[in-house]
Amino acid sequence: MTTTEFATTPEDLQMFVSEVWANHVAQVDELVPAPPHTWTATAGPAVPCWSGAVSVTGRWQGMIAVDLAGGSAEALARGMLALDETEEVDPVELSDVVGEFANIVGGNVKSLMPGPSTLSLPLVAHNVLEPPSGLHPQVTLDLAWRDAPVRVRVLALPSPTQ
Amino acid sequence: MHALIIDDSRAMRSILRRIVTGLSWDTSEAGDGQQAITLLEEGLVPDVCLIDWNMPVMDGYEFVVRVRSEDKWRNVTLMMVTTESEHDNIVRALAAGAHEYVVKPFTPDAIVDKLALLGLTQTEVPA
Repeated sequence: MTTTEFATTPEDLQMFVSEVWANHVAQVDELVPAPPHTWTATAGPAVPCWSGAVSVTGRWQGMIAVDLAGGSAEALARGMLALDETEEVDPVELSDVVGEFANIVGGNVKSLMPGPSTLSLPLVAHNVLEPPSGLHPQVTLDLAWRDAPVRVRVLALPSPTQ
Repeated sequence: MHALIIDDSRAMRSILRRIVTGLSWDTSEAGDGQQAITLLEEGLVPDVCLIDWNMPVMDGYEFVVRVRSEDKWRNVTLMMVTTESEHDNIVRALAAGAHEYVVKPFTPDAIVDKLALLGLTQTEVPA
């Protein structure tokens, strides 16, 4: 893998994420900046979160990951699937929605980087996805929807100057 | 009018379905390009295909190339709806025979406007 000096800014990332959220969820409440949440890598009912990630390979190489607490993942799913607040969201649907969210955000991040490059299919877990070794956080965006945390991470190989 | 929606995400197919059924269109769905080819080979004749790029089995670009290689499907309008926004890939898809290109995320208006540009509907946003 090659190293890279290109970077996404927090403003770029905020714009992509907010646009997806505004299109599908935010009838009333928007995603707002929030203090960092403590995300743990332990799966299970005590940590009801979802993570989705896509990898970019090419001139820029890295990973874009989205982490959603249960409430924010369900809000996104209800918005994208046009379900009302009383309807149960199937875990399969949640997984699909989180993957598509990662795909859209990742595709937009990729568009800022020099090509050619290829976007992977999304990987989704009912857990916090840990990046492969060698990738380092480049930008981390901490947000919340009605107090339910949302985090977006851009991870990349370190540049030669880092 | 009939739209064939090709996307591996059920949620995205649901979003696109709501937009085009809001125009009183019929829809069919496929989870990848190969499933869509199977539907076409079985006799489905859509007016337009809304095509994601990044899908398992057969991606959207391969689907466009395959459809354009068959004379019997020459009248099907092809519109990419995808996160793939690299300039060279947009040019590649259009050169292969896609008629229009929409980058995700999109609004319903953006899809309806593109369908109107293709002469498939009026520029009226579905309710």
